[in-house]
Amino acid sequence: MTPTQEPPTQKSGTALATLRELPQNVWNSIFRNPLPSTDLERSSTSFTNFFLHIHPVKVNKNTLRPTYTMGLGLIATFLFVILVVTGVLLMFYYVPSTTQAYDRMLDLRGTVAFGIFLRNMHRWSAHGMVAIVFLHMCRVYFTGAYKRPREFNWVLGVLLLLVTLFLSFTGYLLPWDQLAFWAITVGTSIAGYAPLVGKQMQFVLLGDTTVGQEALLRFYVLHVAVLPAVLVLMMAIHFWRIRKDGGLSRPEVAAAPAPDAGVVKLKKVYGLQGFVRGPFTKLGNVPDNSVYSWPNLLMAELFVFVLTISLILVVSLLFNAPLEQPVNIMHPPNPAKAPWYFLGLQEMVSYSAFWGGIGIPGLMVAMLFAVPYIDRTTHGVGKWFAKERLLANTIFLTLVILNVIFIAIGTFFRGPNWTLVSPF
Amino acid sequence: MKVAPQRDRQVTSEDSQMPRRRVLAWLSGFGLFASGLLAVLSDWLFFKPRVTYGPSARFAIGKPDDFPPGTRIARDVERVCIVREGNKMAAISTTCTHLGCIVAISDTGFACPCHGSHYDQDGNVTGGPAPKPLPWFQVTLAPNGDVVIDKNASVDPGTYLTV
Repeated sequence: MTPTQEPPTQKSGTALATLRELPQNVWNSIFRNPLPSTDLERSSTSFTNFFLHIHPVKVNKNTLRPTYTMGLGLIATFLFVILVVTGVLLMFYYVPSTTQAYDRMLDLRGTVAFGIFLRNMHRWSAHGMVAIVFLHMCRVYFTGAYKRPREFNWVLGVLLLLVTLFLSFTGYLLPWDQLAFWAITVGTSIAGYAPLVGKQMQFVLLGDTTVGQEALLRFYVLHVAVLPAVLVLMMAIHFWRIRKDGGLSRPEVAAAPAPDAGVVKLKKVYGLQGFVRGPFTKLGNVPDNSVYSWPNLLMAELFVFVLTISLILVVSLLFNAPLEQPVNIMHPPNPAKAPWYFLGLQEMVSYSAFWGGIGIPGLMVAMLFAVPYIDRTTHGVGKWFAKERLLANTIFLTLVILNVIFIAIGTFFRGPNWTLVSPF
Repeated sequence: MKVAPQRDRQVTSEDSQMPRRRVLAWLSGFGLFASGLLAVLSDWLFFKPRVTYGPSARFAIGKPDDFPPGTRIARDVERVCIVREGNKMAAISTTCTHLGCIVAISDTGFACPCHGSHYDQDGNVTGGPAPKPLPWFQVTLAPNGDVVIDKNASVDPGTYLTV
């Protein structure tokens, strides 16, 4: 891109002049463009700026409709950012040792400045991320956004959901309290039911036959290094594919030129547009029902970020993350419950360990992966609960409701010995 | 700066005049694939510990006389139940075969607090989601007269050590 600013005029190369121009030269070497004031300059800046170039220069108006996306993907991303920041801070005081971990939890409460607050933020953001990622998947499904050419991004999204759940699961053990120990004992036993490799997998995951120091260390490494790295890489591809698949899904009407939109002439399409090759960029025939990402998209993102972090701050001020008694393998809590998002699984496991823990969840995940390759129709994209997708939406909604019911039963209606109790 | 691919010129990397390059490409591809397989295998071996640091699976519990006839004692740390009937001794696992909770001794045998599985005195499933009976472990007498239990060695239910 040609800089829109004149390079500083070359005065006589005296040392004094060099010194005088030093601040300006340093500034210009970092920021290629001055603070932009026109659409072209803003486009140019967002195109050349490392942090902004993830955005397209222009976005379709439909993408910015809050009622369409509900900002769920953005919220999930921002929750992840909060999790990384608070998680790294917590790492400075945490020791993954069975003799120290629980004491460090108490220290977060007692001696570390903002310790309890950081832990609250981390815990509530983790719960929030699981919920939001799931809702984001529902949004994508109910708007038919997984259809061609976005099939693979849907697959990536399902993988991201699984990694998110695994991150939650590994983090769950780290406080080394009763809840952690028994939830992981139950959870890894479920993994042991997988056919053929189940027992081996459980042994490798725990590094021993029972949950102990090896398991704590392994879960810690997975939680703070391996899984976040995997998640970041997959998020990057997920975002990249949004752009390469032609932006967010939208109805046919939104993709067509608005009636009053003039056709942008070839000479008006600046060079940077030419770089952005995708199925929706047609040189010389760009339907002008899009708006510039800067400021429209940027402001929306900023607003969602502020909203997300405010909510997490408020919740973290009001509610403390739970911490139970330290691990006592002699006294399993009765009932021993997994985190809420696994309680549906645990409820199903109480009927049959293999079918509830491996069979049915495996089938559901396989179905999620297969959805875009089975449903090859192209109608009803970009509209919530489109009439054309009545069957597909009904099936998905039924499964979602079933999951919610199982989670509700496991959370509220199960008492000692996993017997049915009334919460009222 | 030109980024868009040029369409007016057909350029292919396949060059029949350069068989050496194709051979090298095949060799490299095969090498990468093979080392990928080796990496997966060695990763698995690496992550599967050869030594575990937890409590030993083989341990002594004391002299037979410490367990008078009629004893049924659950040792939660080792997760076994020591049974002595007359002059016969056995060790039954107290790890629930459903999802690994510790079962408690009940009037009729064993009961799991996590998901409500029930077992009889010999560890056979009498109710709940448990898929398998509780395993019995090998019990032997050490030369010094100690009763030794080996949790790595399962024996058929009903196998007793005569002391």
